[in-house]
Amino acid sequence: MNRHQAIEDQALDWLIRRDEPDWSDGDQAELDKWLDESMANRAAWLRAEHGWAQADRVRSLGAWENRPKSDYRRPIWVPTAIAASLLLAVGIGGYSLAPQFADQPAARQTRFDTPVGGHKVVSLADGSRIELNTESVVRAAVNEKRRDVWLDSGEAYFEVKHRDGEPFVVHAGSRTITVLGTKFSVRRDNDRVTVNVIEGRVRVDDGQGGNSSAAIITAGDTAIARAGSTLIAPKSEERVEGALAWRDGMLTFNLIPLSEVAAEFNRYNRTQLSVDPSAADIPIGGTFQASNVDAFARLLHDAYGLKTEQDGDRIKIST
Amino acid sequence: MVDDEALNAWFVREVLPLERALTAYVRRNWRVAEDVFELRQDIYEHALVGARRELPSNTRAYMYTLARNHLINQAKRAQIVSFEIVADLDHEIMDFDMFGAERALTARDELRHAKAGIDKLPPRCREVMRLRKLDGLSTQEAAEALGVSTETVRQQLKYGMKALIDHMIGGSGKIVRPKFGRRASEETRS
Repeated sequence: MNRHQAIEDQALDWLIRRDEPDWSDGDQAELDKWLDESMANRAAWLRAEHGWAQADRVRSLGAWENRPKSDYRRPIWVPTAIAASLLLAVGIGGYSLAPQFADQPAARQTRFDTPVGGHKVVSLADGSRIELNTESVVRAAVNEKRRDVWLDSGEAYFEVKHRDGEPFVVHAGSRTITVLGTKFSVRRDNDRVTVNVIEGRVRVDDGQGGNSSAAIITAGDTAIARAGSTLIAPKSEERVEGALAWRDGMLTFNLIPLSEVAAEFNRYNRTQLSVDPSAADIPIGGTFQASNVDAFARLLHDAYGLKTEQDGDRIKIST
Repeated sequence: MVDDEALNAWFVREVLPLERALTAYVRRNWRVAEDVFELRQDIYEHALVGARRELPSNTRAYMYTLARNHLINQAKRAQIVSFEIVADLDHEIMDFDMFGAERALTARDELRHAKAGIDKLPPRCREVMRLRKLDGLSTQEAAEALGVSTETVRQQLKYGMKALIDHMIGGSGKIVRPKFGRRASEETRS
């Protein structure tokens, strides 16, 4: 260990000792003596003490996952390779339990929904905004202590106002998404939950009791959670932007199989596309108006030479 | 003679906010990355020794001059360092404005900053830090709560404090990275 590290190490030892309950005047005198030994000691001490005091700010913040007090006494530290992830999982237990209790919250709930093809922007009491995509239902309960939103179905984009120490929690099925202040979207397709982050970072929790796990995703990331697994797609601002094109009434695809593209259009329109298996795998790329399914069908016919056949509210597509 | 209290207050108020700029300056002008913190520590020491006689009227200019002279002296002494560095520093215009004071952080910025620092800590370290900082447990109590030795708690606490202090003052995650593993965010599992 070189001199600099040795001194820094001693400064930290002093700092730890000083914060112990049994710190005495005698200890203080010893510390003063050490400080007077050299200016290098003093510099290291002042730096450590100041930095550590500044970090006190986190006391007021929900930066630490809150667990029920009784859990503290349980020896949960297993020094094995999986200890880290285990701890992480146990550490978030407090939030993981949230969905079960939170389904009957005390705060008054407000319900918002949109019809097929609908698009609605709502403002919450705390200044946060929610933009609802087609066929979506959200309930919001915002009070001084908590901010909870349930995405019952569909998709929504959130712009969360930062509030010190007061997280904003989105419940989407078995997942909870916890944020402090950021912009992101959440989409539910039955048991699959997709989270896109535009700004800041959010935490996605899989709240299944002892099995829970958490992932923190940052701007440009996409998390796709389904059953027990969470996939984090690597950073791609472009893809996230594409995933949010609906806010402008557009749909963006980057070489996605036609069957999936059709399913996407069907979310927005009464007229439903049905794709014959023969055409299901054709890759589609481009940006389209979500509401204009007829134009999309025509394009398939003109550009790809596919057969389109209208039958009431249904357009059949085949090769 | 400046008394201890005034000297300490000056150091915390005027010198520490320059740490990021100072570290960047040393790093830019010194090729051996491992030496950077050692050099910074030396410069702090010189700063306190000099200020003991009289507090400088312009701390930025004072720190800049100290840093520059210290690097030149070290470079002249160390054979391994190219003399180009000395030449560069010798002919450098005295531009201590590059030692820009950090934009004053609002309480909210600091809060966010602290949160980011905590997020960087590995989970077990964060757990120890949380027991200490949030619940105010002593080392002994934390060790009992976690079922580990006090020595282990102290060790984790030290890693965590060092990382968080570096983060709060220097704001550079780089300092910490090599010591710690991957971020918690990458520990997703099914």
